[in-house]
Amino acid sequence: MRVILDDAILRRGSFQLTASGTFSEGVHLVTGPVGSGKSTLALALAGVLRPLAGQIGKEGIGSRTLALPFPEYHVTGETPGGEAASWGLLPAPVLEAAGLSGRGGEDVLRCSQGELKRLVLSCMLAREWDLLILDEPYSSLDCAWKEAFSRRLGERRKGITIIFTHEDEVLPRVDEIWEIQAGRLVSLGRVPEAIPRWSRPPAYIRAALDAGALPENITPGDVRDAVCRTRG
Amino acid sequence: MIEITGLSHRVLEIPELRIPSGRVAVIGPNGGGKTTLLRLLAGIDLPVSGEILIDGLAPRSREVGWVGEQPEREIIFHRVSDEISSALRFRHDPCPLVDERVKAVAGELGIGRLLGRETRDLSAGEKAMVALGAALAARPDILILDETDSNLDQESAGAVEGLLRIASCSHVLIATQRMELAARSDHILFLERGRVLHSGSPAAAFEALTGTPFFPPSRGCR
Repeated sequence: MRVILDDAILRRGSFQLTASGTFSEGVHLVTGPVGSGKSTLALALAGVLRPLAGQIGKEGIGSRTLALPFPEYHVTGETPGGEAASWGLLPAPVLEAAGLSGRGGEDVLRCSQGELKRLVLSCMLAREWDLLILDEPYSSLDCAWKEAFSRRLGERRKGITIIFTHEDEVLPRVDEIWEIQAGRLVSLGRVPEAIPRWSRPPAYIRAALDAGALPENITPGDVRDAVCRTRG
Repeated sequence: MIEITGLSHRVLEIPELRIPSGRVAVIGPNGGGKTTLLRLLAGIDLPVSGEILIDGLAPRSREVGWVGEQPEREIIFHRVSDEISSALRFRHDPCPLVDERVKAVAGELGIGRLLGRETRDLSAGEKAMVALGAALAARPDILILDETDSNLDQESAGAVEGLLRIASCSHVLIATQRMELAARSDHILFLERGRVLHSGSPAAAFEALTGTPFFPPSRGCR
């Protein structure tokens, strides 16, 4: 199961991004500043946007989905329960995972942005996907829910999970890190070796590296443990 | 000083609260009442009961700058320069002064290159910066950012934070899920289920929040 980018050139308006590399099974983090082309690349990997030149090949991938930054673009059900059912899921466990137990019959438009985000992510994570692409999955979530979804994303072992985010305080356990640098997708390699190669890591990881700590992974817990070990 | 007395409005129940001037981080879980409180402080909504005074005046009699979580819903003009100048034009400031102010604000925010762009072509983070420029252009007394940083990367959030330090607003209230940013504020309000559970210095508030997901990631060994 692989997604192979071969000098794929992506363009939206005046913006252009060049991407090469192979996404294999595991959890991948793609980072880059605002406006660097994360969403453009996410759309292209999902097959929504065609590259101007080059290729995006997929091997062994059947099911795939893309989580957009704004959850309201996904919702088709009239109620949270209806939304879960529209994904072919039993509503009760999905609603529980989204913190919406007992609210399955409400008008879905009465849900806050954060509640909708929890609902859509819970629906997606309740199913198996060969290729799961998440564009800014943490936006609209509070710290407690960011941590909860981070844990669930980091536990995914089947298929290819690609997380595009500029989140800088709560990150999941990942297998590989990628960075968009000056209009080009760059593979930093597997974790933990990739961590010191990160040109723009979140502040808590930068502080740990500056203190001489090399975390095993990039979750706040991993980084805190590494710092504490360094301090003895 | 912001003084709140006997406030009851939707989920919020705040019998008595004093918030000092300076940079205030409003933190807490989704649904805790952060946006509801900020809308009242901005004068967008009026409380069902209770009183809010900002330096002795009602919120609606103050110049307030507001940027929400989804700036694309607040942007009304096609061109970035028109959006940033909107508040100044609505109050009929002279055109040369408006142009000068727009360029200055855009320069401070590092978005001068966007001035001639169409707002619809911008990324979510760029839209947030433009909305902030529009809010700051009128030199508000009170600036309110309601989780605006959720669409910003750490560099942009850092640029905004730097700008807030030099902005001449007497009150800056920021709802955020970035606890590192909250830790650098002058005062913290932690709201949960409509109640203010903590109001005080970052050191005091985060001591009370140790072990929760609201504790800043770079602090403390386990």
